[in-house]
Amino acid sequence: MTELKATGVSASPFLGRRAARAKSAAAAPPPKPRRQPSLVRRLVVLHAVLSAIVLAIGGVTLSAFFAERSTAAFDERLGDDVLDLVRGTSVDETGEVAAPTLTDARTGYAYSGKYWELVTPGEGGPVHAIDRSRSMWDAPDFALPAGGAPALASRAGKTFYYDGMGPAPSGGASAQPGAPAGKEHVRIAAELVHIAGVKDPIIFMVAEDRSPIDANIRTFAVSVAIALAALLAMLIGGVMLQVRFGLRPLFRLQREVASVRTGKTDRVGDDYPAELEPLASELNALVAHNQEVVERQRTHVGNLAHALKTPLTVMDAEAQARPGPLGDVVRRQVDVMREQVDHHLRRARASARQQGGGDRTEVAPLLEELALTLERIFQDKGVEIDWRAPDDLFFHGERQDLLELAGNVMENACKWCKARVRVTAEALDATRFSLTVEDDGPGLAAKDRAEVLQRGARLDETAPGSGLGLSIVDELARAYGGALALSDSHWGGLMTTLTLPRGEA
Amino acid sequence: MRILVVEDDPDLARQLKAALGDAGYAVDHAPDGEEAHFLGDTEPYDAIVLDLGLPKMDGVSVLERWRRASVATPVLILTARGAWSEKVAGFDAGADDYLTKPFHTEELLARLRALLRRSAGHASPSLECGALRLDPRAARATVNGEPLRLTSLEYRLLHYLMMHQGRVISRTELVEHLYDQDFDRDSNTIEVFIGRLRKKVGPDRIETVRGLGYRLVALEGEATTT
Repeated sequence: MTELKATGVSASPFLGRRAARAKSAAAAPPPKPRRQPSLVRRLVVLHAVLSAIVLAIGGVTLSAFFAERSTAAFDERLGDDVLDLVRGTSVDETGEVAAPTLTDARTGYAYSGKYWELVTPGEGGPVHAIDRSRSMWDAPDFALPAGGAPALASRAGKTFYYDGMGPAPSGGASAQPGAPAGKEHVRIAAELVHIAGVKDPIIFMVAEDRSPIDANIRTFAVSVAIALAALLAMLIGGVMLQVRFGLRPLFRLQREVASVRTGKTDRVGDDYPAELEPLASELNALVAHNQEVVERQRTHVGNLAHALKTPLTVMDAEAQARPGPLGDVVRRQVDVMREQVDHHLRRARASARQQGGGDRTEVAPLLEELALTLERIFQDKGVEIDWRAPDDLFFHGERQDLLELAGNVMENACKWCKARVRVTAEALDATRFSLTVEDDGPGLAAKDRAEVLQRGARLDETAPGSGLGLSIVDELARAYGGALALSDSHWGGLMTTLTLPRGEA
Repeated sequence: MRILVVEDDPDLARQLKAALGDAGYAVDHAPDGEEAHFLGDTEPYDAIVLDLGLPKMDGVSVLERWRRASVATPVLILTARGAWSEKVAGFDAGADDYLTKPFHTEELLARLRALLRRSAGHASPSLECGALRLDPRAARATVNGEPLRLTSLEYRLLHYLMMHQGRVISRTELVEHLYDQDFDRDSNTIEVFIGRLRKKVGPDRIETVRGLGYRLVALEGEATTT
């Protein structure tokens, strides 16, 4: 019984465990060397072990109770037989004891499995048989219960029930196949009775092969084991479902955090169960804090720029008003300072961007804004900007940054074009899109293009004032893991292609 | 020519006043947003130089209020940050040009001259179609007096449709009018622009005539006075 249960226990949870592992492996990134077991696995395994123990105890108890009850019923019948034997026994004048014929016909056939015997206890020695059923044949007398004759004598008239060996070899009709060779196991009922006319007390014994009830008990135990194992499997299945459903908000939270990271949403939901609610609101607070820090950095940088640029303008104008060597030096130095400020502003912006992340920006409206603004700025030149972008295209990053990237490239095109600028945004794959800006200007020789694309702020220094202003774009695009490429446009002008991370629609 | 300079830095303000005065303009100065708003709203200036970083009320808000109050004076904004977000916000609010600090005074004067030249000689015959009105000289279009924000290509398309309102115009005709080179004329170009225009002027004003093209119409109940 217990062994059966144990195997039943260990099989199911292993299946469950493996399933849980397979699931978490599919959802999570490469497994870390020492990872905590998953919550699902913990809960399921714990529940399986506890259920198995409880069910095993229940099964053992149930079987024991059944065995006890079966034996008691069996004993009761044996007791009745003893009573029949006692009542039917007669003593003649010579003191000869005559036993009755029991109704159970089996007593008449040798080794049939049902036996009776009348004995008198000798003086402290072996018993002396008076009479016995024919079925006993030439077998030795049945053993007396523990304590022997004195125990029986001390409680005369009370029936004792105990196990013993029968006369027949085991392996009879009701014996279990494969049982060890030996005598059959019998249940014995014995009672010591003083009969009038007989000097010695007589011990009446009835015995019966107990293998039928043993078989019953075994069958019962096996059935119980099977039923409980099935119950255990259902319980484990149930708890797996329960855990899957119960932990659903947790899985949802995981998905939401992922979409915050990819910029699909900017916060996780508020409708979480009480246990997860604090975690969700902490997460939101963290995201908000993060955004605030990035924003603050930008504001600081902007403030610094503002604080420096107005004085620079003043100095420049002042120097211009006083021509001479000093004025020239001041004007030149003002230009250098302005470039320095711009350079460090860009750096600060790029690093602020790396800490941020998570946002996404619709491309089409932003291109329209820029087109409107730039056509306004280049109104005198009559620049026409033809922009195209699918409505469901998103940039994975902040609006300000896409404005900088597209704004500078488009402004550059407007500066160099004769009249026409074409801007095309297209999805390349699930994670990238391209922004192509073409103009009908003079274009750029291949040699110069390489120079333009060289990293850092050198371009602005080598070509002050007339630089393409693309180094800021290049730097920012790289901060986003993107790229900037130059080629020829349809019209023979410059074509600038930005490859940028695409946000999820 | 009367010019309002809105700048909170006293040194820069003094320099601007001096430079503009030397160039022959009459100059008023407002050191903060509130005073700027009041002056711009009440005095008939020919142009305004507006710094965006101002005490009391920022430049973009001042500009928005002026435009809401139909102050059409050309405005040149000065910005220290030079970020595109700020430029776009400025133009969105109704700016006509911008300069990034630090700038050379000559540059400011040149821009101002261009602004004044552009705004001169307004009052011109405009095209109307129901509540839709287009002013070809200023290159502006309005619906019920609300200005439309159109890119040049959209404006050109609307202008063409308005010149031929009530008539069905084929796609080919429209695309030929929009582009002068064949390789630009891909098949869905016109659909894209018609779609954008419909979003801005209202979907019912431009009818699709199946197999033929498009037609601009006045909405029912609107009087056409062309």
